[in-house]
Amino acid sequence: MKPIKIPTLQPRLHVLNHEQALAIHTAALEILEKTGFKMEHPRALELLVDAGCKVSNGDRVKLPSHLVEKALRSAPKQIDLYNQLGNKAMPLVNGNCFYGTGSDATFTLDLETGQRRRTVLSDVANFAKLVDGLENIAFNMSMANPEDVPIEDIYVFVFAEMVKNTNKPVVFIADRGRDIAKIYEIACLVAGGEKKLQERPFLLNYSEAISPLRFPVYVMEKLIFCAEKRVPICLPSGSNAGGGAPVTLAGAMALGIAENLVGLVVHQLVAEGAPFLFGPNVSVLDMKSTVVSYGAPEWSLTQAALADMRDEIYGLPIWAYAGASDAKVMDAQAGAEAMFSIVTALLSRSNLMHDVGFLEYGNTSSLEMVTMSNELVAMSRFFFEGIPVNEETLALEAIERVAKGGPGSIFLMDDHTYEHFRQAQFLPKLLDRSRYDPWREAGAIDIYTRCNSEVKRILAEHVVEAKPDDVLKGIDRILQRS
Amino acid sequence: MSEFKALTEAVLKGDIDKAVAETQKALDAGKNVQAILDESLIAAMGEVGDRYSKGIIFVPQMLRSAKTMKECMKLLEPLLKEAAVTTKGKVLIGTVKGDLHDIGKNLVSMMMEGAGFVITDLGVDVPPEKFVQKAQEVEPDIVAMSALLSTTMPSMPQTIKALEEAGIRNKVKVMIGGAPVTAKYAQEIKADCYAADAGSAVNEAKKLLGIS
Repeated sequence: MKPIKIPTLQPRLHVLNHEQALAIHTAALEILEKTGFKMEHPRALELLVDAGCKVSNGDRVKLPSHLVEKALRSAPKQIDLYNQLGNKAMPLVNGNCFYGTGSDATFTLDLETGQRRRTVLSDVANFAKLVDGLENIAFNMSMANPEDVPIEDIYVFVFAEMVKNTNKPVVFIADRGRDIAKIYEIACLVAGGEKKLQERPFLLNYSEAISPLRFPVYVMEKLIFCAEKRVPICLPSGSNAGGGAPVTLAGAMALGIAENLVGLVVHQLVAEGAPFLFGPNVSVLDMKSTVVSYGAPEWSLTQAALADMRDEIYGLPIWAYAGASDAKVMDAQAGAEAMFSIVTALLSRSNLMHDVGFLEYGNTSSLEMVTMSNELVAMSRFFFEGIPVNEETLALEAIERVAKGGPGSIFLMDDHTYEHFRQAQFLPKLLDRSRYDPWREAGAIDIYTRCNSEVKRILAEHVVEAKPDDVLKGIDRILQRS
Repeated sequence: MSEFKALTEAVLKGDIDKAVAETQKALDAGKNVQAILDESLIAAMGEVGDRYSKGIIFVPQMLRSAKTMKECMKLLEPLLKEAAVTTKGKVLIGTVKGDLHDIGKNLVSMMMEGAGFVITDLGVDVPPEKFVQKAQEVEPDIVAMSALLSTTMPSMPQTIKALEEAGIRNKVKVMIGGAPVTAKYAQEIKADCYAADAGSAVNEAKKLLGIS
């Protein structure tokens, strides 16, 4: 008889028990039933009223729990994002984890000077190309809010620049209904038509409501557009603890989840079964600087909690963040904070982690930071794979060979090592393990400088499969109309 | 300051009940209203600002002190009008048209109020004409604008233009701030200053008006 295969435990972090998860969920429902929310979009309001919500003072809506239950049942449990070549790239389901960059940074660290400066459109291209060339960065966001394009169509230009420079899935921002329609037009061109785009969506919209409990017209325009076109969307709000939400994490989560559920309900009322990525962003407002922290353990904790709530209650794939920092330069703080969020997001099985490569609480993007994070993700993935235990890995034969071998017999020389070292060990590319003297002789180069060189190498060498000419021309025609 | 030591301490600690009682006590004892304001309340808030800048206290503590001062001001205000006392300056503030975010703007208002400025807060989604209309009415020293969304930033130069067209641009200083706003942008649109956060908004306002 064949020996029983020993399953490998892949470490999983839990931070809530069932009672905690239910209590937060119940609190969210209570917020919607008793406090209610401000819905400023007439059609969304009408849909809610028709579905059975009560309205007072014109636009203050109270939402009964059964509508939430219904929306949770109709929303798909799996969202598949494809790359722009039409291949499935990100099956967002269960514990699948994918990392990607962030949106809208006002500044970036210049690749040549290292100085912080305003972002321009060519930065969007560089980040997209870099992401395309990094194996552990699965999707692309703009990383820039460029100052050199017309501001009313900024997100159209940014989206065009992204699809011109990467074939990976794109998470995008839009201002309102007007520009999201143009972005969708570009996406259809890239996918080869509306039908193909809907079959193989390569994009996901990120929009934000306003905490506490406010749903402006321009936000709901995007939500309704995405629902109708079946473009996957997530709709977190600014429910950061102490700013948009209560300072205590349980309350901030309850509020953020309540806000997300409003989005979900409206979304499913517009188009039952349309894809909705669940999850609030619950970081903290720093009590000294009043920035929303991107290096806070609280954010990692609340998204680990959300992953538990997904498994206990919601069943929908979830939105998260990782690989960012409040540090102004890519220093030890940046490394520590990036790693903390990367490894905890993976261990808690969040599904889609954005903001990789942000410094200065999301205000500055850094190509080097993305590149370092790519390696930190690899390191975390290695840890998360756990320890496979089987005949091959127990290696009793190798032990016997080496132990009984003559003088000079070492594991390093054994065939078992040769055959297994690539899988058995994490082999860093940028993290330095060299001996001291060679390190010093090579210029005593730190991680930032190594990442800088690696970025330059990728931008010089990596080839992004180009879009067909007619697609590029079509995109430019749309831009010229802008 | 020693004359109002208990009041000053209460504001520093954010003890609202105690501070209000001490203010009433000072008034009952016939103390000068301007002295209570300058030597105790504003002085205390100055100290609070210092402690915050040095990292000794956190924002909620500072805001609690500001709230405490505000409660005390309720007792002083009716008397201030009669006595025509001076203030640091008047600030008209709002989040610009198209933008509905107000946490940052509210923080700036609270901090400025704590520093002795008189604030008129127009709220969010404030169109240029409303800034102008209110500016004509209250004659502020500073018009302060906030924006969180980059797409709403153009409302700032539009408001400045509206102030020009109304002929009151040279009567006010324009201050701007918000996540996507930079010092460079302030220069470009000919605002008078940019403030990165609530604390620096107070300092910049004082600089603009030439007060310490």
